Amino acid sequence: MPPVQIQPNRPARHGRRMRRLDIAAMTAPFAALALLAAVTVSSRPASAAAAPQPPALTESQAVWRAASRLGYWPSEERAAAIRAHAGGARGWALDEIDRAFEASRQPARVPDHLPAVTTALSTVFAEARREREERFKAVRTAAAAAAATAAAAPQQQMHQMPQMQIQQTPAPERMQQQGAAAPAAVQPSSVASARQAATWRLISCSDPTVENPLLSRMTEFWFNHMNVFAGRLTVRPFVGHYSLHAIRPNVLGRFEDLLLASARHPAMLFYLDQNQNVADGTPGPQGRVRGINENYARELMELHTLGIDGGYTQQDVRELARVLTGWTVDPDGPSGFRFVERLHDTGEKTVLGRRFGGPGAAGGEREGIEALAMLAARPATARRLSLRLAQFFVADEPPRALVDRLAAEFLASNGDLRRVMRMLVASPEFWDPANELFKTPYDFACSALGVSTRAAAPPPVMLTLGFLASAGQPVNGWQTPDGYRTDAATWLTPESLTRRADLAAALARGLGEPEHLLAFYAEPTRERIRRVEPGSRAALALAAPDFMRK
Amino acid sequence: MQPDPITRRRLLGTLLASGTLVAGALTAPRSFAQAAPALDRGRLVVVFLRGAYDGLSALVPWSDPDYTRLRPTIAVAAPDGTAATSIELDARFALHPALAPLLPLWREGSLAVIPAAGSPNRSRSHFEAQHHWETGLPDQSTGAPGWLNRLAAMDDTRSRAVPLIGVGEANPHILSGPVRARLIPRGEAAGRAGVIGNDATRDALLELYSGDDRLSRAFREGVESRLMTSKELAAEMMAADNGAGNPAGLVREARQLAALMRADPALRIGFLSAGGWDTHANQGAATGLLASRFANLARGLVQLHADFDRPGDLVLVLSEFGRTSAENGARGTDHGRGNALWLIGRQVAGGQAHGRWEGLARGNLNEGRDLPVLHDFRAVIAQPLARIFGLPERRLADLFPGATWDRSLDGLVRRA
Repeated sequence: MPPVQIQPNRPARHGRRMRRLDIAAMTAPFAALALLAAVTVSSRPASAAAAPQPPALTESQAVWRAASRLGYWPSEERAAAIRAHAGGARGWALDEIDRAFEASRQPARVPDHLPAVTTALSTVFAEARREREERFKAVRTAAAAAAATAAAAPQQQMHQMPQMQIQQTPAPERMQQQGAAAPAAVQPSSVASARQAATWRLISCSDPTVENPLLSRMTEFWFNHMNVFAGRLTVRPFVGHYSLHAIRPNVLGRFEDLLLASARHPAMLFYLDQNQNVADGTPGPQGRVRGINENYARELMELHTLGIDGGYTQQDVRELARVLTGWTVDPDGPSGFRFVERLHDTGEKTVLGRRFGGPGAAGGEREGIEALAMLAARPATARRLSLRLAQFFVADEPPRALVDRLAAEFLASNGDLRRVMRMLVASPEFWDPANELFKTPYDFACSALGVSTRAAAPPPVMLTLGFLASAGQPVNGWQTPDGYRTDAATWLTPESLTRRADLAAALARGLGEPEHLLAFYAEPTRERIRRVEPGSRAALALAAPDFMRK
Repeated sequence: MQPDPITRRRLLGTLLASGTLVAGALTAPRSFAQAAPALDRGRLVVVFLRGAYDGLSALVPWSDPDYTRLRPTIAVAAPDGTAATSIELDARFALHPALAPLLPLWREGSLAVIPAAGSPNRSRSHFEAQHHWETGLPDQSTGAPGWLNRLAAMDDTRSRAVPLIGVGEANPHILSGPVRARLIPRGEAAGRAGVIGNDATRDALLELYSGDDRLSRAFREGVESRLMTSKELAAEMMAADNGAGNPAGLVREARQLAALMRADPALRIGFLSAGGWDTHANQGAATGLLASRFANLARGLVQLHADFDRPGDLVLVLSEFGRTSAENGARGTDHGRGNALWLIGRQVAGGQAHGRWEGLARGNLNEGRDLPVLHDFRAVIAQPLARIFGLPERRLADLFPGATWDRSLDGLVRRA
C-alpha cells in the first residue's frame, strides 16, 4: 500500500458544491476525541502537526461513518470492534476491506428459505423455458377467444391482448399483477425467484451475521454500476444468480474479471440484447436475416467503462458490437454462456483505433475478451469508476484530487479494486466532516431493518421491499442500465422523507429504547426522543435526522 | 400540413428551406407577443416517454413504400379497416392500432403531431439526451435546472404556493431547480397520510426536524404537502374508483395528477413519465411488446385529455430521440434521431401533422439510417408557450437559449 498523504489544505472540488446538506450543523459538537487521534495510523508521523488542523470527526462520528458507509449501520458489535482497533477507525476500515475480500472468495451463506438464489443456471433456464411455453399457451388461448369476439367487430379488442410485460409499477405491485394475471393463479417460479433475489439483498445488507456488510455494499455498488432489471421477463429468473455469482465474487478483485463475468452472464446477455447480436446476414428462422444489435456495445462503453465523454463514436459502438457478435447464452452448460463461431462477424473491425479480427489477427471469442480488457484498462474508465466510487463512498461531488489519485491507483494496479478501495478509505477525504452523504432509500431501509431485526422473528422483508418500491428504489427494479443515482439531489425530497417515518414506525414496533443508536445522536435529538413514552422511542430514533446520514 | 403564407416564406429565405436551424433568439411574430407573461391561462402537462419510443410504429407512414422495405417484420400494416392494421389518419400517416383510443382526439382536432422533431444534439445516449430534453439546453451536459422549473420561475403571477408537480418518479430532473415541486411517489400509497396523520407523532417529528438546515426544511415541507396530497387523493380515489377496480400504470398517475392539480389551482405544471420504450429486440408490430406499451400510453393520454379540458390546457408527449428507420437483426430497432412529438389541447390545431416530412427514402435519412431532426423540439414547445401561455420573447430566449423560432410551425396553435 502506498503511504497515506495528509493534505493540510482542503482539495479543490468538482464544480460548485450544490445542495450540500447541513446535517452536521444539527449535530452538537462533542468535546470528545478528535478524528486525527482516532484514525491516524501509528506508523505515519503527523508531519502537518504545526499546520492548523481542519475540523475533524469525533470518534463517535468516525465510527458512525465507517460502519454506515462501509456497510449500512453500526451494530453494537461492529461499533465495539471499530472502537477497539489499535489503528482507529481508519485501521479498522483497512482491515475490513481484507475481511470483505476473504468473504467474497467464499460462497455466500444464503438462508435455506431462499433456494432460488443458488439454483444452478441450467435449472433456471429449464424453468424459464417451461414458464415461457405456458405463457404462450395462455396468450394463444386468449387470442383465439378475442379473435372469435372480434370477428364481428373489427378495430376493437386489439389493446385487450394480455400484456406480456408489465413495467413501470414498483416491483412488488408489478409482481402482484403478474401473479394475478397468471391464468391458473399459480405463481410463476421466476416471480418467486426474483422475490428471493430481492430478499437476499435485504438480508445481506441488514444482517452482519449472514454477510460481511462491506461485501454487501460493494455488491450493491457494482450491481448498480452494471445494472440489470428484474422487470424484464427474460432477465427476471437470472437476477439473483447475477448478483451472487457474477458480481459478488469479483467486487474486490480485478475490474477486468468483473466486467467479463458481467458480460458473460445470461442476465446481462438478455438485458442488453447481446444474445441477439449476430453477424449481419446471419440466416434466421423462416427465411429471415439477422444482424447486429448494438445495445450492449453502447452501454458497455457509455456506462460500464469509458463514460459518455470517454472519446468513442457511433462508429466505435457499431464496430464493438461486431467484435462481440456470437457472445450469447447457453441454456445447457454450467456457465450460461457460450461463444458461437457461426454467429460471429469474422471481418476486420476497428474499435478506438485498434484492429480486431481480419487476416492474421486472433479471431473469434478472443476479440471480445481483448476488447473488454482494452476498455477496462483505458484511463477514461479509470476516471469514471473512480469518480463513481468517490461519489458513492465520500461525497456527491467528491474532491477532484481524490478522484485523480484513485484513478492513478486503478491504472497502476491494473484495475485492482481492492487497492483502489484501500486508497479510498485511507484518504483524508473519506474522513473529512465536510464530505457528508445522505442515505438513499435503500441505505435507510437496510439500516432500519438492521437495527430492528431481532433473532427470534423473521425480518419484515415484504414490508421493506414495498417501501423501497414506493420510494422509487425497488430492489433489482431499475429499468435502465444506468442504475440508481445515489445523491441527495435525487433522494432528499419532501414527501419521501415523511414516508421514511412510516417504515421507521412499522419496523420499530415492539422495540425498546435503542440506547446504542441514541449514543451516536446529537443531544437535542436524544433529549426530544426521551420525552416520548419508551414504546415510541425506537420509531422516533429511526425517523430522526441523525439516522438519515451515513 | 398548412402551407406557409407567402409573406412568411419570403422572410424566411432559404434557411428554413434547407432545414438548417438559425442561431438566434426565439422571436415569435409580433401578433402573438403578449404584454404580461402569465401561466394562468392554462395548465401544462409533460409526459416523457423514457427510452426513446418508436415513433415510426406510433405514427405509421403507411403510404411510403420504404416503410415496409426497411421494416420487413415489424412494420405495422397499411390500413385495411381491421384491428390487425394501422388506422388511417391521412394520405401519409396512420395510427398504431393500440393507439385507437386516441382517434377521437385526432378527429375532434385536439391531437396534433410533429412527425420529425428532435434535439439538435446528436447524442445517441439515452441518459445524455434525456438530460438535454429535460434542461432544454442541448448544447451542454452540465447541471442546470429543468426547463419546467425555469418556466415556473418565469411566471410573474405565481404566488408563493408550489406550482410544479410530478407523479411517479422520485425526482425527475425536468422539475428540479430553485422553484419547489410536489413529488408524488408512484402507487396507491400516495393517498395515505401514514404516521404523520397522527398528531402526537407529527408534533414529535416536527420538533426533531425544527432546524434551519435543508433536511429539516424539506421534512417540514413534506409534512405539509403530504397531508394535502393524502386528503385530496383520498376523496378523488373514492369518487373515481366507484367499483371500477384499480387502474394501473400511466392512467392511474394521470388521474392522481389531475385530481391534485384540480384541488390546488396553484399547481400549473405537471409531469408524468412512462418507461419501457427501448425496444432493441422483438418489438412486435400490430401486437406484441410495443403494442402493449402503446395501449397503456393511449389510456393515460385519454385520461389526461378528459381531465385537462380547459381551453388553455396542454399536454406534450416527448421522448429523447427516435429509433432507426430500419429494423435491426433482432426484429427491434436501435437508437435513432428524429421522432414524432405529440400535443393535445383545445387550442392545438389538431387532426393534422405539422412541419416537414420527407419520407424514408435513403437519401432523406440521417446518416442513411434515421429519421432526421427537421424541427428542434424547443421550437415546437415554444409555439404553445408563446401562443397559449403568453410567454414573451425574451423569456422564451432565456428558457431555450440558442433555439430559433420556427415559422413553419406557426399553424400549430389556434388563436383562442
